[in-house]
Amino acid sequence: MAHRLLVRRIWTLSAKDIRCLPASAAASSFSTSSLQSAATRASFLSPSRSLPCSLPHTSHREVSFNVQDHEDFTVRVIKSDLPVLVDFHAQWCGPCKILGPRLEKAIAKQKGRVTMAKVDIDDHTDLAIEYGVSAVPTVIAIRGGDVVDHFVGIKDDDELDSFVGKVIGQ
Amino acid sequence: MPPIDTDTGKNELKSRIQLLIDSNQVMVFSKSYCPYCVKVKALFKELDVECNVVELDLIEDGTNYQEMLLEMTGQKSVPNVFINKKHVGGCDKTMQAHEDGSLKQLLSGDNKAYEYDLIVIGGGSGGLACSKEAAVLGKKVMVLDYVVPTPKGTTWGLGGTCVNVGCIPKKLMHQTAVLGTAMQDARKFGWEFSETVTHNWDTMKTAVNNYIGSLNWGYRVALRDKDVNYVNAHAEFIEPHKIKATNKRGKETLHTAARFVLATGERPRYLGIPGDKEYCITSDDLFSLPHCPGKTLVIGASYVALECGGFLAGLGLDVTIMVRSILLRGFDQDMANRAGEHMEDHGIKFLRQYVPVKVEELEAGSPGRLKVTAKSTETDEVIEGEYNTVLIAVGRDACTDKVGLDKIGVKVNPKNGKIPVNDEEQTNVPHVYAIGDILEGKWELTPVAIQAGKLLARRLYKGSTLKCDYVNVPTTVFTPLEYGSCGLSEDRATELYGQDNLEVYHSQFWPLEFTVAGRDNNRCYGKIICNKLDNDRVIGFHYLGPNAGEVTQGFGIAMKCGATKEQLDGTIGIHPTCAEIFTTMEVTKSSGGDINLGGC
Repeated sequence: MAHRLLVRRIWTLSAKDIRCLPASAAASSFSTSSLQSAATRASFLSPSRSLPCSLPHTSHREVSFNVQDHEDFTVRVIKSDLPVLVDFHAQWCGPCKILGPRLEKAIAKQKGRVTMAKVDIDDHTDLAIEYGVSAVPTVIAIRGGDVVDHFVGIKDDDELDSFVGKVIGQ
Repeated sequence: MPPIDTDTGKNELKSRIQLLIDSNQVMVFSKSYCPYCVKVKALFKELDVECNVVELDLIEDGTNYQEMLLEMTGQKSVPNVFINKKHVGGCDKTMQAHEDGSLKQLLSGDNKAYEYDLIVIGGGSGGLACSKEAAVLGKKVMVLDYVVPTPKGTTWGLGGTCVNVGCIPKKLMHQTAVLGTAMQDARKFGWEFSETVTHNWDTMKTAVNNYIGSLNWGYRVALRDKDVNYVNAHAEFIEPHKIKATNKRGKETLHTAARFVLATGERPRYLGIPGDKEYCITSDDLFSLPHCPGKTLVIGASYVALECGGFLAGLGLDVTIMVRSILLRGFDQDMANRAGEHMEDHGIKFLRQYVPVKVEELEAGSPGRLKVTAKSTETDEVIEGEYNTVLIAVGRDACTDKVGLDKIGVKVNPKNGKIPVNDEEQTNVPHVYAIGDILEGKWELTPVAIQAGKLLARRLYKGSTLKCDYVNVPTTVFTPLEYGSCGLSEDRATELYGQDNLEVYHSQFWPLEFTVAGRDNNRCYGKIICNKLDNDRVIGFHYLGPNAGEVTQGFGIAMKCGATKEQLDGTIGIHPTCAEIFTTMEVTKSSGGDINLGGC
């Protein structure tokens, strides 16, 4: 698994450079550790980071988005500048319907310092299988392409605030 | 000879041993007096395989050989067996490899030639059980599963018929109907609630399908956790050990395996009359139908037909069942007719001795209106009827025609597509096995497929000899009044043993729960068939009443243990229950005695 993730990350980063999508270097407001690690890896992989590829950094982000496919996940989660909480959920799962809105609320409080990706495990089974999801809801935190934390099941608002806080390094 | 303590000497010995291993198809390091070595050597002789033997007790530096073998293989004991340069182990390992077939594979030298040890075609109950068991036993396993959408476009997830369009949704919808009956009874017990009670199809359908969704996911996770490679693709043989997998986007991949298990299951049969595929549905569509089916015609008298017709009527729908000849072919006919009579009592209409000839659409919609034309099987009479939904349940066909079995020479019964196998689920092609509903002359039941699949994997990879026992399999038909049975039907028992050698005990009963509710008096019925030639052993068990599955399971165990009538009589009943009737049966069918029961 770790190997697969690493391979995918390498592919992701090189793809990022080729396509010139918003790069981590263009952003300014995240924790230094994630910025640094992303930059180090990128420079190791590609010397061409100075290509003119900075798109304007938008300050208004939606709190959450639905992952469309594997590539979308790569672009918007793995190589996201911001830490991302990935909410693996299913339509048939009752607790997911409670957790989702709570999590969105906790993330909205952070005013753009973290974002949330929603993955329907029936539509994107391979992603869920790859990330070791066994039960839903499962929430994983990804920072700089790495899984940094996770939980399974339901949590109350305070617990979610503290989980989100930890992920963004507060 | 003293132990070697120089590196040069050791290396020289090692290359000498390695040369022996490399240059002999079978190399056995043995001791002439060791009984295990004798056994192994005898095995190779029996297999007519030339094996090179070095008797370590007869050569001068045997002890050094043994030390070096320990260093090379981690095994000090003899025999130490190598086949085609591969270390097999001692006597036990060799014998096990012989039993599970891997010895043959090693001998043929193609042990590395295949991508997988086992490829299972079909991700239903049987296929999943077999693949998981094989993976647990350390084998590299692939499962291919692909659901071809119905003509109406219905499709579903991993787990096969039982989970998606069979046992699970059927029993839950049957339960919906049972709750409806319970609500009617409830008023008699003093519960007061609004006179108008309605049922919401969409709520039921969504709840049932949500549960199925969680099961699909659970199966997927179990495959991952057991390291079974799952591929959602249609599989077709192109060579004896090679299949082509085609996924839903049409992408093709090739895979090879040493062995294959066919577990493709069955799908509903259509009638082959105008309008059947265009306008009718089958059980594959019913459980996820987006709208309430409304006035329904069920065509067929299979257990699927009676169960579906039964629960639809239980939801309050107008249901008609069109029957060509008899109800529940293959089941005890006395019981089948009693179950049918109970359905008729509860407002289900039966059109007997009719077959449909065409189905036309009068009006599209959800549901629309359909006109069904049918003709009598006995006269020239033609009848017409109007329904919202027509459900075809006239039987199921094995999915064995599009798997490329003809290419590799697997024998298939041309009449029904079923696959004949020996008592170890092996087809006429030795490396291809089959389990589940596609087997000729075997039960079409999920637990049977699971058992067969598990035991097959253990025989193939664990040296087990246990075979699946297809005798005395308990089962239940979830008609409105449920019918549970185990062993032989009265019809079959009479055929096998002759009426004179059987004693049939029977009784009607009125469940206590029904008395206050005042319903279904003398509808419930129990019957056991005993073999007079064998100590009155119970060879057939039949129960028509509530909770038939729960009642029948235990008696199934008793029959596995060889229960006799005397033992049933010696068992204390649990009062007040339905199942206790089997501990007090005194009236024989041949006596013609009264079977209506009084009070306690």
